[in-house]
Amino acid sequence: MKCFLPAFLLLLSTSFVSAGKVEFNRDIRPILSEKCYKCHGPDAKNQKSDYRLDSFAHATARLDKRQGISPGQVEKSELHHRIHAAGTDDVMPPSDSKVTLTPSEIALLDQWISEGAEYQQHWAFVPLPKTVPVPKVVFPSGSNADQAKLSRWAKNEIDAFVLEKLVQAGFTPSPEASRTQWLRRVSFDLTGLPPSLAELDAFLADESPEAYEHVVNRLLDSDACAERLTAEWMDVARYSDSYGYQVDNDRRVWPWRDWVEQAFRKNLPYDQFIVWQLAGDLLPDATREQRLATTFNRLHPQNVEGGSVPEEFRTEYVSDRVQTYGTAFLGLTMECARCHDHKFDPVTAMDYFRLSAYFANIDEAGLYSYFTPAVPTPTLWLPDKKQEAELARFEREIASLSQRLASRREILQKSWSSPADIRVPLPKPIASFSFDHLKNGAFPDADPQGESAKSSPNNLLVPGHRAQAVRLTGDDAVTLPVGNFSRDQPFSISLWMNTPDEKERAVIFSRSKAWTDAASRGYEMLLEKGHLVAALVHFEPGNALRIRSKDVFPIASWHHVALVYDGSSRAEGLRLYLDGKPVGVEIVRDQLTRTIEGGGSDTIVIGERMRDSGFKDGFVDDFSVFDQILSPAAVAALASDQTTFSPDLDHHLLTDDAESRAIFAKLTTSRQERSALVEEIPEIMTMEEFKGPPRITHFLERGSYASPGKAVSPATPAFLPAMEKGLPNNRLGLARWTVAEANPLTARVTVNRYWQRMFRNGLVATTEDFGSQGRLPTHPELLDWLARDFVDHGWDLHRLLKIIALSATYRQSSDLPKGKALTADPENTLLHHYPSSPLSAEMLRDNVLATSGLLVNQVGGSPVKPYDIAVAFKPSAPDTGASLYRRSLYTYMRQTSPSPMMIVLNASKRDVCQVKVERSESPLQGLVMLNSPQFVEAARVLAEKLIAEHGDDDEGLIRDAFRRLTSRQARPEEVRILAQLFAKESARFSADSGRAEALLKIGETPLRKEKQSLPRVAAATVLISTLFNYDECCMKR
Amino acid sequence: MNIPLDSPFRPSRREFLNRFGGGLGGIALASLIGESQARDQGTLPLYLTDSPKAKRVIYLFQSGGPSQMDLYDYKPRLKAEEGHQLPDEVRGGQRLTGMSGNQSSLPLVGSPFTFSRHGESGQWFSELLPYTAKIADEITVIKTMNTDAINHGPGVTFFQTGSQLGGRPSIGSWLSYGLGSENANLPAFVVLITKGMKGQPLVSRLWGSGFLPGEHDGVRLNPDKDAVLYLNNPEGIDIKTRRAMLDSLGALHRLHREESGDAALETRIAQYEMGFRMQASIPEATDLSDEPESTFRLYGDDARTPGTYAANCLLARRLAERGVRFVQLYHQDWDHHGGLPGGLKTKCRETDQASAALVIDLKQRGLLDDTIVIWGGEFGRTNYCQGKFNPASFGRDHHPRCFSLWMAGGGIRAGYSHGLTDDYCYNIVDGGVHVYDFQATLLHLLGIDHERLTYFYQGRHFRLTDVHGRIVKPILA
Repeated sequence: MKCFLPAFLLLLSTSFVSAGKVEFNRDIRPILSEKCYKCHGPDAKNQKSDYRLDSFAHATARLDKRQGISPGQVEKSELHHRIHAAGTDDVMPPSDSKVTLTPSEIALLDQWISEGAEYQQHWAFVPLPKTVPVPKVVFPSGSNADQAKLSRWAKNEIDAFVLEKLVQAGFTPSPEASRTQWLRRVSFDLTGLPPSLAELDAFLADESPEAYEHVVNRLLDSDACAERLTAEWMDVARYSDSYGYQVDNDRRVWPWRDWVEQAFRKNLPYDQFIVWQLAGDLLPDATREQRLATTFNRLHPQNVEGGSVPEEFRTEYVSDRVQTYGTAFLGLTMECARCHDHKFDPVTAMDYFRLSAYFANIDEAGLYSYFTPAVPTPTLWLPDKKQEAELARFEREIASLSQRLASRREILQKSWSSPADIRVPLPKPIASFSFDHLKNGAFPDADPQGESAKSSPNNLLVPGHRAQAVRLTGDDAVTLPVGNFSRDQPFSISLWMNTPDEKERAVIFSRSKAWTDAASRGYEMLLEKGHLVAALVHFEPGNALRIRSKDVFPIASWHHVALVYDGSSRAEGLRLYLDGKPVGVEIVRDQLTRTIEGGGSDTIVIGERMRDSGFKDGFVDDFSVFDQILSPAAVAALASDQTTFSPDLDHHLLTDDAESRAIFAKLTTSRQERSALVEEIPEIMTMEEFKGPPRITHFLERGSYASPGKAVSPATPAFLPAMEKGLPNNRLGLARWTVAEANPLTARVTVNRYWQRMFRNGLVATTEDFGSQGRLPTHPELLDWLARDFVDHGWDLHRLLKIIALSATYRQSSDLPKGKALTADPENTLLHHYPSSPLSAEMLRDNVLATSGLLVNQVGGSPVKPYDIAVAFKPSAPDTGASLYRRSLYTYMRQTSPSPMMIVLNASKRDVCQVKVERSESPLQGLVMLNSPQFVEAARVLAEKLIAEHGDDDEGLIRDAFRRLTSRQARPEEVRILAQLFAKESARFSADSGRAEALLKIGETPLRKEKQSLPRVAAATVLISTLFNYDECCMKR
Repeated sequence: MNIPLDSPFRPSRREFLNRFGGGLGGIALASLIGESQARDQGTLPLYLTDSPKAKRVIYLFQSGGPSQMDLYDYKPRLKAEEGHQLPDEVRGGQRLTGMSGNQSSLPLVGSPFTFSRHGESGQWFSELLPYTAKIADEITVIKTMNTDAINHGPGVTFFQTGSQLGGRPSIGSWLSYGLGSENANLPAFVVLITKGMKGQPLVSRLWGSGFLPGEHDGVRLNPDKDAVLYLNNPEGIDIKTRRAMLDSLGALHRLHREESGDAALETRIAQYEMGFRMQASIPEATDLSDEPESTFRLYGDDARTPGTYAANCLLARRLAERGVRFVQLYHQDWDHHGGLPGGLKTKCRETDQASAALVIDLKQRGLLDDTIVIWGGEFGRTNYCQGKFNPASFGRDHHPRCFSLWMAGGGIRAGYSHGLTDDYCYNIVDGGVHVYDFQATLLHLLGIDHERLTYFYQGRHFRLTDVHGRIVKPILA
């Protein structure tokens, strides 16, 4: 590599800071941010000092008759004196702060003050320029041949930016990588897989000028590319197949992963990719795909630990959404501002909570259900075509039958009148309990099933409404033997009760295993803040019917209460009666679409529920359960202790009118058939705005759910350009704002992340932080040019990847340059060579599956369990057959027990949004790649194939193996090393064929049927296993 | 990021420490050299203090929340007032878990176990801890631990990572990162879990490296065939074949290193060699067959069964002997919401003898001087009964405000009881030790300034102790 002399200057078309002049963003902000802002930064409320250095106005303000910075006047600036006061009490930073300024930093600060202490807006918050000029490198001296060569080096705009910096520093680019090396590199980068031999040969034979472009087009237009892009997005989206936290049950969210894959396959414009995921549900006439995309916001860990406070975890979920949003799209560390104004960036705590308000307004619970497999609300149903059609048919049928029933009622309303003087007996309950006698924990009431109600001895019998009643402790249950109704079954419950006080919350009775732990699955009657509440619940709160009395319940007196449900799954079909009269109610929820059965505790329990507030010191008497609707007249009779009543129209329709009864019977059948179908339809967590009154988001003191401050309205961070007028101020508005022209961050953050995947590091090395603590871009103009080009071409991701892949910069050799470049720029920020990097965990495993031919190319579907899940921290049985050989993207990801192989190979742990995975080497990786059945089997299967192809031709076998695994021809010395290994091991396995047989038994794939020399196959397995671990097989170079 | 020792672009050590030692980069000592070597050479990163008292830690984590007032913190008043309601002024607005938060009554319950004083220090122990009582004069019992968490998941995560939520490095990872390994053939951070325990589940992120590089993950040793994931050669591959493979691989890598100029290949070669050595060193460390009978008498017969708590205590000693920096044990099922009298007896039978044996054994071998042993859980238990009081089967709910933990060894005061709780064992009267204080003190003992051992991630310098933590001076020797 040729080095230019330092005197070799160049002129640039872009603005250039004259040597010596201090630039705030480049030179000063990093010092202030790193060493001063903690006490003198934007977080004015929580820092010791009133003096702030985060803006010109603050920094030059006079406080206590002193001026921190007097622009242009070093001597008059307090700051100057304080940073020079080493050894005194006045020194800044203070000696106990454990922060010190270096002499060069002190000099820079002085120079900056004397040059006028100019501030600049933080580079990442400056709007993206409308156009970004491409530099033209001009060489004032040097040999013409060199100039000509360099001027021909650039293949596209990227290279002009890179070359400019290289030449400026006195360096030149590295030579081109070989064709094979480039093909291998670009294949891994775009598809996560190595090139096949056929692809390699085709490319080497293609002498057309478009050969490279053809390859890139072919790679981009493949399922493998979509899978590779999806794998990366899974880390960003903290995707996992389980809920996380401690119990970590499985969750079914892979349909969202499949949506991501399709989006990448179709090259969905990236701005839409973002908008759909953030707010697809709010798009006009949102499609199922657009709604499904919003599962992105629900992939945070979710808790179910018994006894947890639901609001604590709901707050965490919302925070996680904000943090993921901030990191993934804005490149900002929003979570810092949850507890206090950001210490380094202009993000205030108010910004944080106003942003979080966009993500809070869904009908969700803080805990998922331990006792049932319910999907936490809100959800989207994913019926297949047939189910969709059948569901529509049932809905039509049910609507039509309901209509007929209503019509019949209307007709009879006009024609039917209650026959005078006729009284009929009350409907017969399926069970009835007087609570008059309690013996050995049982109420020996006669009941039809012969089973009695049971109670703890702590509940006492006391005089009640009629004879004795039960007085409840609130911690002890009275358990009835009946009550397991489906949502399609009409039922009624009649009881007398007496509450000693209003009750903040008290369970009168329920058919439900538990409150939060079962998400209230079942049905229940409660007192809440004095109001009577009745509910039928699949999953609380989002899939339930819930009504609440408008008036508070009278205290310290006996009252008759009836609950009547008509089997309609509608709130209007659920009624409450007090002392025989209908209770005026408000509808709290009217969204019951799935079963209310299950979860355990299959019968009615009075006065207590697991981890809920019981009916402490309350009284209950004469409790009856009916498997039918009670008419108002029947309820009135019960409320007045009558045994007969004069029938009303409802009663007539229910019991006497044959036509109504026939329609109702059909209706019930249809509802039951619908329910059976619905239980088969999978659903998935998504976003859906709550239709009731908006959930209020509060400013939380120190970020704690337990310290809510004042209510806040949703808004985008105040320091960024405001949302365009006309956008709705909801999640959709936020999504549109995120990809709006005025947003300075999203496009830059996105192109930077894709640059990182191609070049190991981003142009901004801190991919996750574009704030003032982040690293400055190495090539700010290039970053802007890429972002501008990306936006101007409709956020076309494939175009972006193609430009990068076809650049001369990307085509450089990864061999380390031999000149000064390395010592001058060891981090390769100037890109004087292509930065090699270890293959990702997914690539390492997929590579051996692909090269051995074991890889099963099946796109999408439910997760699979390869061999190593059997030795995970929480082991489960591995799959068999094709599932063992799918791409690693599909490997079952359990948060608390991920695939141990993938974790050792540096896969992301997926508990939080991760835009950059630190790759480190450890001896454990070699053990996995040499010893695990997945790798050993792959080596053996390839060994069999090569033995079959090459027979006794050892050298041919070795050369073929080497090329398949590294894409290049082996050199003679390499062949010699491997031939020695192969010969030696062949001999040793021949001498001990038992070892060969044991080795070849590993893995589920059977040995080839045709006759083969097992010692030779074993030796070839050893050879290939060795090569699997060879650098050029497992590094991207 | 690993910069190999002989990398052409590796800065000189002094330059390196100037650039990164203050915490600018994501690099600490482990990437370079072990801590002892650094101290010998007098080139210390800023986070290392001058006077380490200990080199390694064995942390006996009792997961689930052992009941302090039935084991260490003697409270006769609870017995005297048994059945009375917890006075409101004592509870003082403490949030309760959803387990007992809606309970209609909260009756106090005294310990059914008898307490007595032991050793010259006269420390109190319940009858369930006869062996621990014998090391009364070796340990500091902190009576006034307190935490922010009231549920297991957040509680254990907080103790081990300084955050109630996932994603942060655990203590062992911080030490691996900050102090490096003292044994080239064993991992710096090893995790041992009692096999087959029920109770609140453990999760792998508890020994995860969070945002630190993955090499600082805790390595779990199993009592199974492969003590470490895929440690053993596959069937049919003997040591000669493996050696031949690694020799060939090394030869290829050396050729490639010359070609590409990439010194990272030296690291790769070294990693494979270390893996090879681990294949021998881990079975050697975990093979208890060379232990004399006296060892098993000391630790108890359980120690003969791989995977038991006692066997893990013994294993911890062997690992400490071999220079492993941080050995994390977990023993589950201390979560006695019900059936506490019986449950606690079982737990103590499983752990008491071996825990004490570990301290005695380390002392006999001269290792206790620079090894810290910690015994404790994520929180304590309530003085009131969860559910209905039944003397044989009552339970206690979680209690974060005060609970007990003991420490022994390097730099820890011997025979000392720290802090005072009220007569109800509900609140701290004096000398409270928050989880962050415990963590700060632990790092201090290991010669680390807890405010300076940081890692730059997502725009800020993260610490184990966040922005908190005070060193608990009274417990220092």
